[in-house]
Amino acid sequence: MHNVAIKSKEVTLLEVLDRVLNKGVVVSGDIVISVADVDLIYLGLKVLLSSVETMEQLRGSPFVGPMQEAT
Amino acid sequence: MQSAKKQLIYLYCVTAVSPTLKEAIKLVSNLYFVYYVDLYAIVGKVAESEFGQEDLKANMADLEWVKTKISLHEKVIESVLTNTCVIPFKFATLFNTDESLKAMLTEYTEEFKTILKKLKNKEEWGVKIYCDTEKLKASVINNESEILEIENEINSSPPGKAFFLEKKKAELLAQSANAIINEYSQESFELLKELSFEARINKLLPKEVTEREDDMVLNSAFLVSKDKVDDFINMVDTLKMHYENKGFFIDCTGPWPPYNFCGLSKQKVRNA
Repeated sequence: MHNVAIKSKEVTLLEVLDRVLNKGVVVSGDIVISVADVDLIYLGLKVLLSSVETMEQLRGSPFVGPMQEAT
Repeated sequence: MQSAKKQLIYLYCVTAVSPTLKEAIKLVSNLYFVYYVDLYAIVGKVAESEFGQEDLKANMADLEWVKTKISLHEKVIESVLTNTCVIPFKFATLFNTDESLKAMLTEYTEEFKTILKKLKNKEEWGVKIYCDTEKLKASVINNESEILEIENEINSSPPGKAFFLEKKKAELLAQSANAIINEYSQESFELLKELSFEARINKLLPKEVTEREDDMVLNSAFLVSKDKVDDFINMVDTLKMHYENKGFFIDCTGPWPPYNFCGLSKQKVRNA
């Protein structure tokens, strides 16, 4: 193993979260985890978040509320 | 109404060759694979009472639950990844039956095969660059003649003029710092990209999330051929040597499952 390949625990949770929630392949499963549900996770992380803008930055897309989410 | 004991099928990843689940099964005891249309879908059974639409929504608000499940998701995929390349799926990709899973595999057969072919013998690496702007400014002061000149001028000026010169100096410093940050992160990205098969720049994460004092200035991911990984890491080390004494910090992690390099063609991604 290489020296740089340190998946240090703390950084990794952030990295893993960002990858697993935002970057994994999305297909139409039988149960769809909505954008709003993913937001719940970030709300759960609100100690880390200061505002809705942060949430937008984090997801890399405009904020879509549950109201706009249909179709 | 569904019975309380009903189970759902949780999809972790898809491979082109028969996966070795010996290690992964230690993480998720009911892990198995479904072989269909020449693809292997690595799946596990989860309780509907935990992952059903409403329960999942409630659980997603529980940070500890999320942390545990997300880590598990990642570990299972990493474990499969040690033996073959994988297409990693998003957290909580769920199916009611093997039949609906197979229907999905049928819909995406060609696309998955194309992606897996591309991923063969390649690894995803992540490179994040952070910058301590104050430290960078300090080294900019030492290096730039324009700043030294204005510094001299400040020292020989009356207080009123000195005040405005100080403001000008601060602006120049900020501009210089920005230019250097752009130049270094751009250069680092380009040099690493040259050693990669594909490269991506992702959104910068704010301090509240990184919990670091310095600012993230580059968030990038690279798909690197296994035979180029050593070169890639040597390049990261070279960049570290050049930049880390100037206030930059380079964080390189990997190998990751190729989350950043499995994009499906847009029109197919739609809600059920």
